[in-house]
Amino acid sequence: MIRFLARRLLIMIPVLFFVSLIVFALINLIPGDAARLFLGEEAPPEAVAVLRHELGLDQPVYVQYLRWVGGMLHGNFGYSFKDHRPVLATVLEKVPVTGELTAASLIVAWAIAIPAGAVAAWRQRTAADYGASAAALVGLSIPNFWLGIMLIYLFAVHLHWLPASGWTPLYQDVGRNLRALLMPACVLGLVLAAVVMRQLRSSMVEVLSADFVRTAKAKGLGGRVVVIRHALRNAVIPVITVMGIQMGTLLGGAVITETIFAVPGLGQLTINSIYGRDYPMLEGVVLFSALAILLINLVVDIVYSLIDPRIKLAGGRS
Amino acid sequence: MVASSRAVVGRITRRDLLRRGAAGALAAGLAGATVGALPAFAAQGGRRGGTLRAGLDADPPNLDPHRSTAAVDRQVYQSLYDKLVDTDADLKIVPMLATSWSVSQDGRTYTLKLRQGVQFHDGTPFNAQAVVYNFNRMRDPKFPSARKSEIAPVSEVVASDPSTVQIKLERPYSPLMYVLTDRAGMMVSPAAAEKDGLNFALRPVGSGPFSFVEKIPQDHITLKRNPNYWMKGLPYLDQVIFRPFPDDNARVANLKSGDVDIINIVPAPQVKQLAQDSSKPGASYRLSEHGAFSWQGIWLNVTKPPFDNKALRQAFSASLDRNAIANVVLQGAAFPSYSFFPNGTPAYDPTWKIPPRNIGQAKERLQAGGHAGGFEFTLLAVQGQQAQAIAQAVQSMAADAGIQAKIQIIEFGQLLDVTDKLQHQAALLGWSGRPDPDFDIYPFVTQSGIGSFNDAGYTNPQVQTLLDAARVLQSMDQRRRAYSQVTRILADDMPYVWLYFPKEYKLMSAKVHGYEHVPDGMMRFHAVWLS
Repeated sequence: MIRFLARRLLIMIPVLFFVSLIVFALINLIPGDAARLFLGEEAPPEAVAVLRHELGLDQPVYVQYLRWVGGMLHGNFGYSFKDHRPVLATVLEKVPVTGELTAASLIVAWAIAIPAGAVAAWRQRTAADYGASAAALVGLSIPNFWLGIMLIYLFAVHLHWLPASGWTPLYQDVGRNLRALLMPACVLGLVLAAVVMRQLRSSMVEVLSADFVRTAKAKGLGGRVVVIRHALRNAVIPVITVMGIQMGTLLGGAVITETIFAVPGLGQLTINSIYGRDYPMLEGVVLFSALAILLINLVVDIVYSLIDPRIKLAGGRS
Repeated sequence: MVASSRAVVGRITRRDLLRRGAAGALAAGLAGATVGALPAFAAQGGRRGGTLRAGLDADPPNLDPHRSTAAVDRQVYQSLYDKLVDTDADLKIVPMLATSWSVSQDGRTYTLKLRQGVQFHDGTPFNAQAVVYNFNRMRDPKFPSARKSEIAPVSEVVASDPSTVQIKLERPYSPLMYVLTDRAGMMVSPAAAEKDGLNFALRPVGSGPFSFVEKIPQDHITLKRNPNYWMKGLPYLDQVIFRPFPDDNARVANLKSGDVDIINIVPAPQVKQLAQDSSKPGASYRLSEHGAFSWQGIWLNVTKPPFDNKALRQAFSASLDRNAIANVVLQGAAFPSYSFFPNGTPAYDPTWKIPPRNIGQAKERLQAGGHAGGFEFTLLAVQGQQAQAIAQAVQSMAADAGIQAKIQIIEFGQLLDVTDKLQHQAALLGWSGRPDPDFDIYPFVTQSGIGSFNDAGYTNPQVQTLLDAARVLQSMDQRRRAYSQVTRILADDMPYVWLYFPKEYKLMSAKVHGYEHVPDGMMRFHAVWLS
């Protein structure tokens, strides 16, 4: 296990290096001059030149890249072009917000999808199955922004049960934090739930027709025990893969949902950095997202082996 | 959002510095008179205390006024900083940190008397030395200042005594006082600026009615009451919190639910409904409308086919129904326009009429331009409901004359890149407007703006001469005549197809009192109180 972890973590280094190269290249390919965007358009060319120099944009691209990577190796992730805010601190400030939102969305998704998927598979071609599938289809089809606005109008404008927007950190006030979290987590969770439910149902259907399930039933185990103890445990592996991918996406920031609910997470930081051509901030955010996905993949692999002991974590050469 | 100086159709990317305009005060100031009365010390009966929450259309990117290029930054500055002079609801220049001012006969020396006993939030005294420091900061070649071009004619600023400064110019420059009502006139604490350098934006220190507490990007900016503010008894509020809501619907919903008390931009498609709802008895919010300040329309690139052909530009313009755009597409949330000077601003000419749509004339012009059967072009626009609605309306109007517009939606930064390089054929792009007419026209139609503001690539020696003269002319009446002449030339050359002037709206809770609606759209909270 430790060898496995060490190996996987070591592999991340070249991967991250490669990612940094791609990120940097792509960002430099976006049309639009950062210095011009900051100074406004009537800015005299000398002023633009001064700013380009200050931002290091007058250097050849490879020098800019080496500076950036060199800085990161020394723990300096650069400063925002906008207001000289340190990139690392800003990204880290957003991580708890997006992390909490991701976790809450997953809880909502699982709470809906696991029972719904299991029941749909177990009671195949019944009203429950069709109902769950229809609900999933609806969940997949509803756009986030529409659902978000509808929830705001219902629960904030009309009923006044929940705040329409905003964010209070968990450590400041748990109650207010959870109230602010509820609507965005539901919006994200409902869409996720639909995907997970469909995935779980199909893999359950397959597992339920497997020999060991028939054996279990033949041993005289009750339907509920078979479904929960035997089938669900085996069916959940592909579902975890899907969840891992989704979690990676969510950690990169749920741009639309964050915008609607004014949640100050990574998604909004990303989009603002793109529009403002805030290269250092954008590079920092994208790099963080890449790191998050790598780490989640690692966690997913570990979880596989916990759920299914037949999956061995290979330590050295295998 | 992005920092830059242009406004795009739709509110999404509206940005930039507006300077408030006024005719009378400027004329008086230039004539050498000393203008200056005590500012209207607000209102008896305001209630002390409370926190005002303001919803903005974007997260303010930079809190240093000398580096800022985003319009939304200025919403926060009104509370954080004082300016040398301000404008009132009628766009007249009024005293702020300068109590009076005079201009020398040759128009090249401005003498400002400064308010005494004012302190920055860090205790640094405000005086003539502080003003000199601020100008030097903006003009420092090593400092990436965004203000350089606005104060380019300034050659020297001297402190003649602790409460008097002289601003010396290389050449007469009539827009100067208006420039000082905006970011170039905002005074930062010399001690804090010296200490923090580029990090000043993270710990901004001004002398305004509120001082900086914290900024969490994309979440909020908190300011607290300045107990030593020079306007006695003001401000009323204990705190002001700014929060960004880039989504139009979410911003309005947050006002309706009571999560914010005022929003800076009201989406045009919702104006009609909000006006109805807020006029019902017992409504919890109200809609305030006051003037127009910005302009919107379509740049035609005169350096490339098809619009290098003047007759085709005229044909396209004649095919458009500006009244329908303002009153039907925008449901009355805008005035139709046929110049660069919005209704109510100093250079607005009420005798200048909007021509009705004329398909016959459009076809005649097409014939004259050698394209009797019509022609095709690509119209660039940014994403967003309103921009697309305008683009589609224009498309269908032009089609009636046989002109086929292909709409292409691109991101704002990219649009600026394309238009600056004059690679486009036509682009739907406007300007957030400034109080002095010079900044509503000069860089847009002269050589100086090519590669930045002048997205038509248009030049005309006659226009250049008239606009240069207007910068030197002393009275607004004379300037207005020059601008009217330029407008007539532009209406014939048609490098920019004027479409409409968006009206200025604010939506606020019924609990908000004492709000003075200035047409520049900037929210001033020094005299606001909550019930």
